[in-house]
Amino acid sequence: MLRNTDVIELWKESENLMKRVLIVDDASFMRMAIKIILQKSGFEVIGEAENGVVGIKKYQELQPDLVTMDITMPEMTGIEALKEITKFDPKAKVVMVSAMGQQAMVREAIVNGAKSFIVKPFKEDHVVETLNKILEM
Amino acid sequence: MSSQYINEPLLDMFIFESSQLIQQLEQDIIISERESYLSELAIDEIFRIMHTIKGSAAMMCFNNISTLTHSIEDLFYFLREENPQDIDYSTLCDLVLEVVDFIKVEIEKIKNGDDADGDASTLINANKDFLSRLKQFSPPSDTTETKSHISPDTQQIYISQNNGFAPHSANLFKTVIRFDEGCEMENVRAFNIIHNLKNITNEIRHIPENIVDSDAARTIQNDGFIIYLKTDCSYEEIHQHITRTAFIKDLELDQLSNNEQFGQFEGGVKIQESKGQGYKEQSNKGQTEKELQFTSAGQSIISVSVAKLDKLMDLTGEMVIAEAMVSQNSDLKGLELDNFHKAARQLHKITSEMQDVVMSIRMVSLSATFQKMHRIVRDMSKKLEKEVELKIIGEETEVDKNIIEHISDPLMHLVRNSIDHGLESLEDRRATGKMLAGTVTLEAKNAGSDVLIIVRDDGKGLNKEKILARARDNGILHKDESDMTDREVYNILFLPGFSTKESITEFSGRGVGMDVVTKNIEAVGGSVSVDSLERVGTTVIMKIPITLAIIDGMNISVGNSRYTIPTTSIRESFRPQEADIIRDPDNNEMIMVRGQCYPLLRLHEIYDVKTDITKFSDGILVMVEQDDKIVCIFADELLGQQQVVVKSLPSYIRNERKIGGLSGCTLLGDGSISLILDISGLADFTGKDIKN
Amino acid sequence: MAEITPRELLEQEEDTQKDRFLTFLIGNEFYGIEIRFVTEIIGIQAVTEVPDLPEYIRGIINLRGKIIPVMDVRLRFKKPFREYNDRTCIIVVDIKEVSIGLIVDSVSEVLTIPEQDIVEPPQMNKGFNNRYIKRIGKVGNDVKLILDCEKLLTDSEIDSVSNAI
Repeated sequence: MLRNTDVIELWKESENLMKRVLIVDDASFMRMAIKIILQKSGFEVIGEAENGVVGIKKYQELQPDLVTMDITMPEMTGIEALKEITKFDPKAKVVMVSAMGQQAMVREAIVNGAKSFIVKPFKEDHVVETLNKILEM
Repeated sequence: MSSQYINEPLLDMFIFESSQLIQQLEQDIIISERESYLSELAIDEIFRIMHTIKGSAAMMCFNNISTLTHSIEDLFYFLREENPQDIDYSTLCDLVLEVVDFIKVEIEKIKNGDDADGDASTLINANKDFLSRLKQFSPPSDTTETKSHISPDTQQIYISQNNGFAPHSANLFKTVIRFDEGCEMENVRAFNIIHNLKNITNEIRHIPENIVDSDAARTIQNDGFIIYLKTDCSYEEIHQHITRTAFIKDLELDQLSNNEQFGQFEGGVKIQESKGQGYKEQSNKGQTEKELQFTSAGQSIISVSVAKLDKLMDLTGEMVIAEAMVSQNSDLKGLELDNFHKAARQLHKITSEMQDVVMSIRMVSLSATFQKMHRIVRDMSKKLEKEVELKIIGEETEVDKNIIEHISDPLMHLVRNSIDHGLESLEDRRATGKMLAGTVTLEAKNAGSDVLIIVRDDGKGLNKEKILARARDNGILHKDESDMTDREVYNILFLPGFSTKESITEFSGRGVGMDVVTKNIEAVGGSVSVDSLERVGTTVIMKIPITLAIIDGMNISVGNSRYTIPTTSIRESFRPQEADIIRDPDNNEMIMVRGQCYPLLRLHEIYDVKTDITKFSDGILVMVEQDDKIVCIFADELLGQQQVVVKSLPSYIRNERKIGGLSGCTLLGDGSISLILDISGLADFTGKDIKN
Repeated sequence: MAEITPRELLEQEEDTQKDRFLTFLIGNEFYGIEIRFVTEIIGIQAVTEVPDLPEYIRGIINLRGKIIPVMDVRLRFKKPFREYNDRTCIIVVDIKEVSIGLIVDSVSEVLTIPEQDIVEPPQMNKGFNNRYIKRIGKVGNDVKLILDCEKLLTDSEIDSVSNAI
């Protein structure tokens, strides 16, 4: 029989295990698609941003464990935002969300500190594996 | 392929977002076309819109949409990067608009639950042709593949922190990595691994050497990615480091015994740590801009489904009723409850404030609806060879979300009509000394609890004689022509069975006349009127209530039944004298008020309600007015005025039959139901009676 | 307690609803209605008349803020009107997303009638009005007429046209 305090402890632990993710993408559809996948797989989506500028601001505010970052966005591209975020937090774990044909930009992102990338249209297990691998780092 | 997480909200979001983007794209293109110039901003935005739709459509497996948008994305990528001169804007705009139309049709299919099965191949080919023609006339460029901000040089440069081999204790490794099938961009994944190894190795060489070209992806798929590296790290450390990469199917890691084996690999690329100077400058420049933008990005907007808003609206309505049921409860009669009434007043204040807020959430500006007309003007002026300028005034005016849906079609119809029939041909305009370009003005403004939407053209105006002649021919003239005012004549236009078209054209032909406009607008409780001056132009005014959801109403009773009259239509109420009543030979009743004669409607008669009050002196008359029609309604008594939440009659009853003179129902404070009278519908009753 | 997923729960519920009928009385006849259509049963309450409707649609009622139409099944079957009393009930049914209240003389009980005890109604050309009777259930020596709810609602248009003529 579990005591109340144990339950609270367990609950806290599971709470801690939930990795906190910030989604940066200008398309609401993509944000929703990523969010659905992440929530199903035990991640906690703590924030969404619709462009690089808001993304940086939210990163500083929320200090998430992980960021998914679209590349093509208005106001500020994902690459620019990535640079700012890694400047602010060199340990930031940023995953680029790219489309086919954006290879050079993904390389640029990697050089600038992106930990990995996913390719649109993505599959659920691809997203989850990519993120989990990064968390192992 | 990704059906596992395709669900309703995601599909809804796809439809919603793509439709919005398409609409924006359409506007961008129409503006550009008018100016025969595509600004950098516009190119960038169109590129981004296409990119976004491509991505979303691919996720939802709407492959025709994603390949089509991809082809436009490529085209605009080229425009953005190469900035070619001598672009054939007219063809380009036509191309993009055709794509817009295609996607619109597909989205409509998706909305209706059909397959998005349109064939985009012709359009895709047209886009590709256009792009290759552009390329012919532009200086050769490397590829359409993304040109990076990194110069080709830096891409291949690589490390050697110590420049040469570390003299002591360096471990040599060879590793062969195979990726999961279908993980895509294998070459970039290889690049990622190399980049991550950089910091812990002294020297790295890899096969294939060139991992920048996308061809390398296939080589890696087939033969795996081979890395030779020299490092101070142990086998375990390197193994662990590499396995952290996603999608590794297979990893062979061998420690090599000597430099010889390592040296076999001659062609290996030397690696140099380099942080380009260029970046720093760039990001510094970015910094100031970004700081400026931070402040403006504060307000965030979320989108909410209309269904939720409707629910919120319903709940608020019920709360208003519940509040009335409590504070006006009959159990309270005769009690002195100062504190209670104080609290009740506070509750009342909060509920009505909340009602206002909920209403305001549902308000949407007419801007999108108005902006849509640009496309119609553009298409029509092109086909009809007329020059048309569209002026938009007051697009920020707001109306209820539910109403906006009913405005779009009539507005489109009116604008088409103005261009097709209102505006003269170029020759005629020249002959009459008018500006060659005709003007169609769309205007919206608030007028009390209504919004006026005005469509005005500076064309030839309406011809009274022609209208009358046509009305006679079609047998829809019910009044003596000489008795009719100009306005009455013009308003014949909106009668069913009338159509002034002398020639049927592609646009306004279609066998429907202006009566569809009336029908749509009346469906939301509005009205349409028209005014015109020959040779000067025509003005159509649509009067529409700002909201349908809550109205100020006067409750009246007839027998056991309750009715609600919208307060805005009430002119006055009074107790009539039997002597003022006039009866014509057909027994139609009328009443004389201040020298004017008005038709009289006994609610208990037309709705067949049992009541003891049939003598005029026992009941009350309410004089109501709607669209220049005035009627006096006879009821038992007035119950009082209050705000009521409009509910539609149950669908079962609406399907059963259309009930004349009723626009819906509402709940009163005591929980009973009151029927809301539709004044213009009631006025029709008298018309019928008089004719009969 | 064993875990039950919502789906299983739903299936169970569907199972428990299978072969179950709510029976009610119109005159001397027992009628049955599939329990899955029934959302609730309420006593007779004040009905707001709506003009211009066929006589059997008595009007509308306020069901906790939701406005639904009510149909007098007796009148629907072209039987003479009977004053409502304290046994009169409104059975609220939900058919193809249309909510409607059915006014009946009285509600009797919920019965299980197994599939094998249900037979097709006899084919009759005239006399017996069985348009709204889908099938006939046998319970002991009694007979319950099983209503065709969908027809009860959808047939109205044909009906109203013929009424008008």
